[in-house]
Amino acid sequence: MADSYPSIAQCAVVATAFKVLLFPAYKSTDFEVHRNWLATTNSLPVQEWYFEKTSEWTLDYPPFFAGFEWILSQFAKVIDPGMLRVYNLEYESWQTVYFQRATVIITELVLVYALNLFVQSAPPAFRRPSHAAALSILLSPGLLIIDHIHFQYNGFLYGILILSLVLARKKSTTLLSGLLFAALLCLKHIYLYLAPAYFVFLLRAYCLGPKSVFHVKFGNAFKLGTGIIAIFGAAFGPFAYWGQIPQLLSRLFPFSRGLCHAYWAPNVWALYSFVDRVLIYVAPQLGLAVDLDAINSVTRGLVGDTSFAVLPEITPRTTFLLTLFFQVIPLIKLFFDPTWDTFIGAVTLCGYASFLFGWHVHEKAILLVIIPFSLIALKDRRYLGAFRPLAVAGHVSLFPLLFTAAEFPIKIVYTIFWLVLFLLAFDRLAPASNRSRIFLFDRFSLLYITISIPLILYCSLIHQATFGKTLEFLPLMFTSSYSAVGVVGSWLGFLVVYFTS
Amino acid sequence: MVGPSPHKPRRKVKKSSNGSEVSSVSTNSGRSSIIKPTYPLAAFLWPARSSVSQWEILPLILMAVGLFRWAAGLWGYSGFQNPPMHGDYEAQRHWMEITTQLPVSQWYFHDLEWWGLDYPPLTAYHSWLLGKIGGLIDPSWFALHTSRGLEDPILKVFMRATVTISDYLVYIPATVIFVRRLSKLQGVNTWTASIALTAILMQPSTILIDHVHFQYNTVMLGCVMATMSSALAGRYMWSCVFFVLALGFKQMALYYAPAIFAYLLGACIFPRNIPRLLGIAIVTAASFAILLLPIFLGALYDAYRGIDARPDLFGHFAPLPIFTEYSFRINYKAWYYPLIQQLAQVIHRVFPFARGLFEDKVANFWCALNVVVKLRKYPTETLQKASLVATLAAIAPPCLVIFVKPRKELLPLALATTAWAFFLFSFQVHEKSVLLPLMPMTVILAAKHGLNKSTRAWVGFANILGTWTMFPLLQRVDLRVPYYTLTLLWAYLLGLPPTSFALYKQEGSPTWTGFATTAIHSLFYFLMAGWHVVDAFLAPPHNKPDLWVVINIGIGAVGFGICYLWCLWSLVVESGLFESSTTEKGKAKTQ
Repeated sequence: MADSYPSIAQCAVVATAFKVLLFPAYKSTDFEVHRNWLATTNSLPVQEWYFEKTSEWTLDYPPFFAGFEWILSQFAKVIDPGMLRVYNLEYESWQTVYFQRATVIITELVLVYALNLFVQSAPPAFRRPSHAAALSILLSPGLLIIDHIHFQYNGFLYGILILSLVLARKKSTTLLSGLLFAALLCLKHIYLYLAPAYFVFLLRAYCLGPKSVFHVKFGNAFKLGTGIIAIFGAAFGPFAYWGQIPQLLSRLFPFSRGLCHAYWAPNVWALYSFVDRVLIYVAPQLGLAVDLDAINSVTRGLVGDTSFAVLPEITPRTTFLLTLFFQVIPLIKLFFDPTWDTFIGAVTLCGYASFLFGWHVHEKAILLVIIPFSLIALKDRRYLGAFRPLAVAGHVSLFPLLFTAAEFPIKIVYTIFWLVLFLLAFDRLAPASNRSRIFLFDRFSLLYITISIPLILYCSLIHQATFGKTLEFLPLMFTSSYSAVGVVGSWLGFLVVYFTS
Repeated sequence: MVGPSPHKPRRKVKKSSNGSEVSSVSTNSGRSSIIKPTYPLAAFLWPARSSVSQWEILPLILMAVGLFRWAAGLWGYSGFQNPPMHGDYEAQRHWMEITTQLPVSQWYFHDLEWWGLDYPPLTAYHSWLLGKIGGLIDPSWFALHTSRGLEDPILKVFMRATVTISDYLVYIPATVIFVRRLSKLQGVNTWTASIALTAILMQPSTILIDHVHFQYNTVMLGCVMATMSSALAGRYMWSCVFFVLALGFKQMALYYAPAIFAYLLGACIFPRNIPRLLGIAIVTAASFAILLLPIFLGALYDAYRGIDARPDLFGHFAPLPIFTEYSFRINYKAWYYPLIQQLAQVIHRVFPFARGLFEDKVANFWCALNVVVKLRKYPTETLQKASLVATLAAIAPPCLVIFVKPRKELLPLALATTAWAFFLFSFQVHEKSVLLPLMPMTVILAAKHGLNKSTRAWVGFANILGTWTMFPLLQRVDLRVPYYTLTLLWAYLLGLPPTSFALYKQEGSPTWTGFATTAIHSLFYFLMAGWHVVDAFLAPPHNKPDLWVVINIGIGAVGFGICYLWCLWSLVVESGLFESSTTEKGKAKTQ
């Protein structure tokens, strides 16, 4: 059988129908953010893009994304010029909603194309698992929740990332892959987190000879270097010329934010905060000092700067060093074994390290881990074993993004649908590993997945029924701590798999 | 859920029902050496073709169709932000209000001008239950008088949830069981049956009317489905119970009544089975009695408490709404008077005899005829008689066939044919009533050869046309986007025009029936598409503002007439009534 069914195109059609039905669904402030960017880029000269601040949602993506918004705004002009006025805050005529929602769906075609290429470039024996993995990304509940309900353009951006990852598969297109990634960085700088893996891979596989690290391919290095400089020059050059780089950087990297986002992303710091909360009650028995000011911030919930009552404070410097450290470890292996599979593994681990240890990580950033991981999750059963808790935890952690009653059944049922469908399918498709598996880890993951059911029930129904509007932070804290355990667990599991295969 | 069991065998043992039939399924392109799905829905279930247990596939199907239902429900409902009367949504909400806030005896009498209750008692009980539950969440939703026209977004979520839950408690289980019984009976493998089940549950018209426009038709349709399902299992008494429930929920189920009656009578006569006949009669009567019992008990209790059913009359005697000329013979002080009064009022409310032949524009024979001959110049009584005669003439053939050949697998076709007859010729038809003939016609997808090209083409045609005739209704409340999305999605899944014309490619020796089907369908699809273009871009002439709608119903009526004929013809062929003469045609059809 040559082709797998259902094809990517067929799934895209049905998914599109579903996404069109979601047009009137809840949308977050990100909708207004992007409308404001449409207005800013369309009605102001480029020099003022990064200075405009009529709306509180100022432009804080790199220049290429601003250019992307400018292109979209050319079509928006025809649909409803009202949305292109900077002072038209919170403007949401139905034309604006339809237009913005439709652009998300249409630009996602990049993802469809990239996934198609991913399946076609897979070795024949691996084509069916690749096909399943591609569908799992296309139908990902993460993209559905974040892009098509909450509102963002991740489908488009991750499409470019996957395209770049797939192009790295062949020697002939490695250069293109690197340049595409550079362009991606100029679209959204969150992908900087993955840049170390790209750097090592391109250095070793493209700029250095396959036999010896001392054999430098100067031609390749030159092509790559000038290409990257050209791309960054195109993006940032004009702003450098106008002397706006400090302003631009202050928009892109707002360091004034706290360690944890308003709602804790499920990372190490969520666990750290959770332990701190528990210690508030335990510390007096242990004779530890409790910072009374911090307790107030605890009871106020999760908004604003987090401060710790018992445990030591965390500085941006600490998080940076930890992230770098855990990124470098897998990169050493990548340097000595620059194959595509290791490269994807390293990209995934860079995503993990930055998500788990980063400063002010947003829960949406989990896609940075899930999506590259999906590409190799079906390599064998050990990979799948590490992927499973991530798939559950990563998606459950996105639930608090949607809190309106009407979208509640969609996020829950869609995620369960996706988990049942793809975990069942993956289970059938992943080949057995030739190495022994870690028995305990499998049991852990089964137990972990089972716990998600009472947790979701508690957070979505039981808590409100028993406590009403009080203690609102409890379900959020449980969700993020639970998800953090899953993400950390899958990270440890994947580290083992990565270094032993 | 999903256990990590790394060492389990890669392929499960094949189920007996999933055996070699799969490759010979008519959905596959028969002669080519590579087996591949010929339409997208088959492709979506392709990985489940072998070795996947039904218990894995069924929950996934139910979740997927649920997602589409709920997502469609995010759109507006009929009457949203449309005072003063709002629409069906307000009617249903209002019934929850009056049933929970008023004594039982007043349910059918209360302020009839504002969406007075005009559905049978089961709807009233259903509203009462939902109103009670909703009242626990927020009492203001169903507060007497003050809640009229309420547009609380959380109330909308609650109302949508009640439709979805009613659907999942009645229609969907009934359909799952029906499909399973029919496919077992006819030797259809479970994989093919799953495709049919998905197609039936994704039917755009039901989703659009119930989950978007807002009504609870699936409860009634589900009861009828259960009626057919029980008949398939040979449980005649249960059939009667379910059918009484369907009638008790929505009087529209009467469209099916002649066929059900003919079938049950036939089943008792060929061969003769008098105990069964008696059993059926007793169970039916008892079901009706139980159905009416709460209303009666409530009326008696209210009379005992001194609560008058019609407080507006201050205890004065009022003639009964029906059989008015005989009402003076009844002693209105007798203990049983409240019962007669209630029954008369229920019947009067449920069957609006006094209204005209048709109210709104609907794609049936009379409305279409009205374009040519102005029917208003004839007296209502003549029209009523004409309608009665035409309906009787149209339902007689299918009822006769199912009476003479009371075979259970013929039931869907017989129901579809009679329902088409009623829809086309009867009195006071609403455009949403097209759901009634569509339901049994769509379930034949689950029958033997149900997914072959010819049946798929006809079932698809009827559904697309039916949904298309409801477009003016949906357009009025700005539901174009869900209309296009759900209809095109269904057409795409089943490989129907306008998404694909592969359905009409004849393989092997072409047949005349094949050509006729292609010609008729192409013409209608062309007209429908053209109509959409005209409707979207051209304003109707000033002196004829309804011209586009009139054209829509004209095309619809002719198309439905053809659907009636196709159902009748299929029924006759399948029944084998004229076996010798139709063998060839039958072969041609099922190819």
